[in-house]
Formats: sequence, structure tokens, C-alpha cells
Amino acid sequence: MTELKGIWKDWRLHLLVLVIVAFTEWIGVFQFTVGPGVILLLPMLYAMLIGLGLFFTPVIKKAQSLNAEPLIVLGVTLLIAKIGVIIGPSLPKLIEAGPALLLQEFGNLGTIFIALPIAVLLGLKRESIGMTHSVAREPNVGLIVDKYGFNSPEGRGVMAIYIFGTVFGAVFMGVISGFLATITPLHPLSFAMASGIGSGSMMAAASGSLVAAFPAFSDDIIAFAGASNLLSLSTGLYMSIFIGLPLTEKMYQLMTRKKASHSVEKGA
Amino acid sequence: MLLKNVQEWTLLLIIFGLIAAIGNWVGYSVFPISSLPGMTVLIVICLAGLILQHVLPVNIPSVAYIGIIGILVSMPVMPGSEYIVKWTENINILALATPILAYAGIAIGRSWTDFVKLGWRSVVVAMFVMVGTFLGSALIAEVVLRMQNLI
Repeated sequence: MTELKGIWKDWRLHLLVLVIVAFTEWIGVFQFTVGPGVILLLPMLYAMLIGLGLFFTPVIKKAQSLNAEPLIVLGVTLLIAKIGVIIGPSLPKLIEAGPALLLQEFGNLGTIFIALPIAVLLGLKRESIGMTHSVAREPNVGLIVDKYGFNSPEGRGVMAIYIFGTVFGAVFMGVISGFLATITPLHPLSFAMASGIGSGSMMAAASGSLVAAFPAFSDDIIAFAGASNLLSLSTGLYMSIFIGLPLTEKMYQLMTRKKASHSVEKGA
Repeated sequence: MLLKNVQEWTLLLIIFGLIAAIGNWVGYSVFPISSLPGMTVLIVICLAGLILQHVLPVNIPSVAYIGIIGILVSMPVMPGSEYIVKWTENINILALATPILAYAGIAIGRSWTDFVKLGWRSVVVAMFVMVGTFLGSALIAEVVLRMQNLI
């Protein structure tokens, strides 16, 4: 973020965002029940989809799309500042919940146990290692590309998840967090900690849905989600290097060896 | 160079802050004048963090400084923290998130061509990756919080 030249002058972009924000906030939260769960659609989700839709109209030119990027970064800094001033007063509570905050970071390995078997079952080969070893944000893309190369199957795998996360991560997390928090018996604060997966916008969407569904816990949800996101950002890469990636490799070998020997038997 | 950046950051943060304040008004009925002190505090915290990141030789992301400064100035032991907490309470966090995602939507349009090239299997796996991470963390948090009798 060193080269920012006159992006503030792009009135077309800022005016457009202002209109999107005013319109989507005016619509407000829309929610409906699916069985025992609740699906919440927040203004930020419509805002993203409208922004994406406008990209394909002449209203947005390439310049606007490029200029929007630094504003995401600066917007996230404001979000983090806001989370900071919520954490400050509840710091003792956060320290009390420290063990849970630290240990739930290991829960990020859950993707390996749930998504890897599905990837292998769907017939994906070594792509599945790049795909499922982590939630595939920037540091993890770097790790995989560094280790296997950009044009390797693993590299293609991690890029696929990265692209999905970039385009639909926030929308998807926003929808499932409210839904899972209302259909499972788990406490909203546990889901708040789970919301911090190392991406500012996904954290905002996931914790935002929780706040809308459980307004009584609003400040605690934000404090826990924010703290967990900060932890994920700082520990996530090492978690992948030392545990996530080796574990994915091992599980992949186990799963494919079984499959391979099975097909040999059939062949014989 | 730094001065030029600070100028640009300030202008962009003010633009973003104004948009968020309007959203805060439309969506959460906080009149823009009431958002002003809180938004100013948040912008100053951001600027402090961005400048620190720029001048300190260590390679720590600016959001880490910003988060820490935010925590420090709002801790009860800090003189004046009650004002910071009171003012920033008026800024609804969802009102900050909406413009971020509006800008994000406009920016990610350029990734769309890559997105449509993904096969359906990638999309299915991606969803399970996210659900897996989310549920895994929630389960562990639940167990530990219950053991500590915090929930």
C-alpha cells in the first residue's frame, strides 16, 4: 500500500458505494427460517453482490475496480480499530477465555477431516492437498506456491479455493454462521471465536450474522471474533507449515493408498 | 513520501468514514453528527497504526498496530478511555462492514472470469473447507469454554 495516487478523486466510485450503502442499509436485515435454523441476509451481503453486478455494467470501469482495492484495505483498518476499542474494555473477559481462544485455532484443521475426504471422493488428485490443507488465504497460497510451484496440481488446488473465498467467502460465511449457530446447540460465543478464520471480510460477515441473530451478546461476539481473527492471522501460517500441510499429505496418502490397493485387488 | 501517504490515507479514511456514517444513519438510526466523534477517533487510531507501520523498521502488518492501539486507548486504566468507548459505541460495526463489502464487490469483479472457470467440484470442496474450519473451531471453543464454566 505505498502507491496511492488520487484515488480520493474517483468520485464516481465513492458516490456509487455511497448509493449502494444507503440502499442496502435501507433494506435492512432479511431473515427466514429453514427448518429449525435461521438464515440471515445482511446489508453487507447485498452490497457485495450489487457491487459485483455493477462491475459488469458500463457504470464501473476498470479504473474503479482497481481503485476500490485500497479502500477495502483502509475500510478493514477502520473495522479493526472498532474491534480494538470493543476489546479494550472487555480485556479481562478475553484473557479469561484465553485457553479457548488459543485452542480453537486447532479447529482450523477441521477442514482436513471434513473437506479432504470429500475432495478425494470426488476424484480430485493432488489438487485436494492444496485445496483442503487450510482455508487458503494469502499466506497459505504463498506457502503452497513456494513448496509445490504455481503450476503444480497443489498450486491449482489452493488457487481454486482462494478464488472461491475471494468472490463468495464473505457471502457464504455470513449465511452459514447464522444458520449453524441457530440449528446446533453450540453457544454463539463459540461460533464467534470460530468466525476469526484469518480474513477480515469473512470474519465481519460471519460475526455480523451472529450479532444480528444474538444481539444480547453483541460486544462479546465482536471481541471474541476479532481476537480470534488476529490470532489466526499471526499463527495460521505456522499452523499450516508444521501441522496442517504434513497432516493433509499423510491423510491423502492413507486415503489414496487404500483406494489404489482396492483397485489392484479388483484388477487381479 | 510519508507525508504524501498520510494525506492520501486521511482523505480516503474520511471518505470511507462519511459513507459509513450515512449507512449508520440509514440502517441504525444514528444521526451523522453523533457518529462524528467516534468516527474521528477510529480514523486517528488507523492513521497512528499506518504511520507506525511505515516508520518502524519491523515488518508487522499495520492492522496489528491498529488493533493494539485500539485496545490500549479503550482500556479502563487509560485516562479518557470512557469517552473513547462512549463515542465509538455510536458506530455500529455492521455499518463499517457494508461499505467494505461494497468496495470489495466492485474490486472482485476482475476475479470473476477466474471464478467461472472453477469446476463444480472445486466449489463443493471450497464450501466444505469453510464449513470444516468454522465447525472445527466452534467445537473446540465450546468444549474449552464449557470446561471453564464460561458459557
